[in-house]
Amino acid sequence: MRSAGPVVRIPTAVNIPAGTPVLMEADDLALVTRAKAGDRDAFRTLVVRYQRRVYSVALGIVKDRDLAWDVSQETFVRVHAHLPEFVGDSSFSTWVLRIGSHLAIDSLRKERASSKQNLDDVHEGDLVGGGEGILATALGNDPQQNALRRELAGKMTEALAKLPEKHRTILVLREVEGLSYEELAERLAIQKGTVMSRLFHARKKMQALLREYAGLGADGDAGGEEGGA
Amino acid sequence: MTSDLCLRWAPMIGARPGELTPEEEHGLAEHLAGCDGCVARLADETALSGMLSQALLDEANRRDFATFSDGVLARIPERAWGGAPGSASAGHGQGGFLGWFRRHRAAAVAAVLAPALAALAAVLYVGQDHHDVPEAAYVEVTSEMGGATVLDTKDGPVVLLGEGEPEGT
Amino acid sequence: MTRRTFAALLVTALAVAALPGAASAATIPVRVRILKGSRQGPAAVDPRLADLQHQLGKLAYVKWDQVGERQADMDFNKPLSVALPDGASLELTLVDSRKDTVTFDVRVAARKTHSRLTIAKDQRIVHQVGGEKDGSAYFASIRPWP
Repeated sequence: MRSAGPVVRIPTAVNIPAGTPVLMEADDLALVTRAKAGDRDAFRTLVVRYQRRVYSVALGIVKDRDLAWDVSQETFVRVHAHLPEFVGDSSFSTWVLRIGSHLAIDSLRKERASSKQNLDDVHEGDLVGGGEGILATALGNDPQQNALRRELAGKMTEALAKLPEKHRTILVLREVEGLSYEELAERLAIQKGTVMSRLFHARKKMQALLREYAGLGADGDAGGEEGGA
Repeated sequence: MTSDLCLRWAPMIGARPGELTPEEEHGLAEHLAGCDGCVARLADETALSGMLSQALLDEANRRDFATFSDGVLARIPERAWGGAPGSASAGHGQGGFLGWFRRHRAAAVAAVLAPALAALAAVLYVGQDHHDVPEAAYVEVTSEMGGATVLDTKDGPVVLLGEGEPEGT
Repeated sequence: MTRRTFAALLVTALAVAALPGAASAATIPVRVRILKGSRQGPAAVDPRLADLQHQLGKLAYVKWDQVGERQADMDFNKPLSVALPDGASLELTLVDSRKDTVTFDVRVAARKTHSRLTIAKDQRIVHQVGGEKDGSAYFASIRPWP
C-alpha cells in the first residue's frame, strides 16, 4: 500500500465473503488491543482479514504455493509473538505485510545458491528494440472491457515466477506491498539508483514475457536471461 | 533522443510523486518531451499498473483458506495466550466507565436518580478527554451480496459493493 | 476533574435538559448527489463533481456524471429516502454528531448492505448504491454542511 494510506485503485471489488464486515483502521487497533489481552477470536479475525494479502505477497516472492502458505502462517505466528511491540505508528496491515515479506525473502535465502551476476546495471543494449508501447497499444484505453487484459492478468503470476529472484522480489515489494524508493533502498540495503535500475530491468523482463504470451512479438530480451545486459 | 540520455532517465519512469528530486523530475519531463521510446515505456507501465497486485490477489482468492487460521493458532503455544504485560486487560482495573463511577460516587447516585441526565452528563464528561473510553468505529459495512470494500482517502471513504463475479470475466 | 466541576456540569445538563426539544440536536444540512460511473466512453468528469475527483479518481470508471441531487435538513435517527435511477432507493440516517465528526447509516436494501460511516466535517462519503451493469454503476455522494 502507498505510504499515504490504504488507497488502492481496484477495478473489481476484492473477494470478501458475503456477510463479512469490512472494517477500517480503528477496528484493527481495537482487535489488536483485544488480541494483546489474550482474545483468540480477535486475533483470528485479524488473521482472516489479512491472510490473503499476506499470502499474495509471499507467493509473489517465493513462487511455490506450499512454501507461500507456510511462510504466511509463520508470518501470523510472528505477528502474535510481537504484538506487544505494535504501538500503531504504522497501520497494522503495513506492519503485517512487512513481516510477511521479510520472512518470504529469508525463506529464499535459506534455499538458493548465491548469484554472482549483476542484475542491476542498465546498459545500452537494454534499450534497443524492446517493443516498447506495444502492450499499451494492445491493451487500449478501456480497462475492463479488454479481453487481452484479462488474458494477461492470468499470465502475470506465471511471468513473475520466471523472473530472477531479485527482480521478482523488488517488483512484489513495489507493486504489492507498495514500498517507496526510499523504503526499498532501506529494506534491500541498496542505493536509490540501484532500486530504480533493478525495477527497470524487472519491468522490462516482465513486459517482454507478457508480449510473448500475448503473441505481440518477442524481442531478444526474454525472461530466461539472468544477466544485467 | 540519444540512448545515453535514455540510460539515465528510463529507470526513473514509474516514480511516484515525491520520489524524485525536483531536478530529476524536471530532467525526466524534458526527456519525455522528446523521446518516443521512453514515452512508450511509460505507456506500457501505465497500462500494466495494478495488474500484478490484482493477479496475485486473484491467486490468493482462488485458494481455500478455510483451515489457514486454524493452522496459525495451532502453531502458537498455549503459554503465549496469557495476555501481554501492560496489555489492555492488565493494570487497568480502575479505568473505563465503571472505574470513573467508583471514583465519583455522588455523581453515580445522581446518575441512578436521573438516567437521562446521567447519560447527558456522561457525554459531557467523555468530552473532557477521558482517554479510556474507546472511540466509535470509523467505518463499518456489512453486505450480504458479494461483500464490500472500503477505500480510505483523505477526502473521505469510498465504499464499493462487490459482485459474485466481476462483469466481463 | 473535581467534584465541584462535575457538579457544575450536572447543573448545566439539568438546565439544558429542561429546555423544550433540547434533547435532540439541531438539524444538519446534508447534500446527497447521485452519480453514474462508466467504464466506457471518453474520460470526462461532470464539472459539478470536481470536488469529488480525488475520491473518484481511485476507481476504474473513467466517465462520471451527476444524475440526481437532494438537499435536506436531517434530524437525528429519522431516515431520509433517496430515489435511485434504477428504481431502488437509498436510506440515509444521521445517527451521531460530535465536535469534529458526523456519523451516517447508509442502507441499500436492494443490495442488503448496511454501512455506518463516521467522517470528519469537511469530508464526504462516496458509496456505491447499485451493482455494475453494462460497465456502469451508480454511487451516492453524501456531504454534511455542503
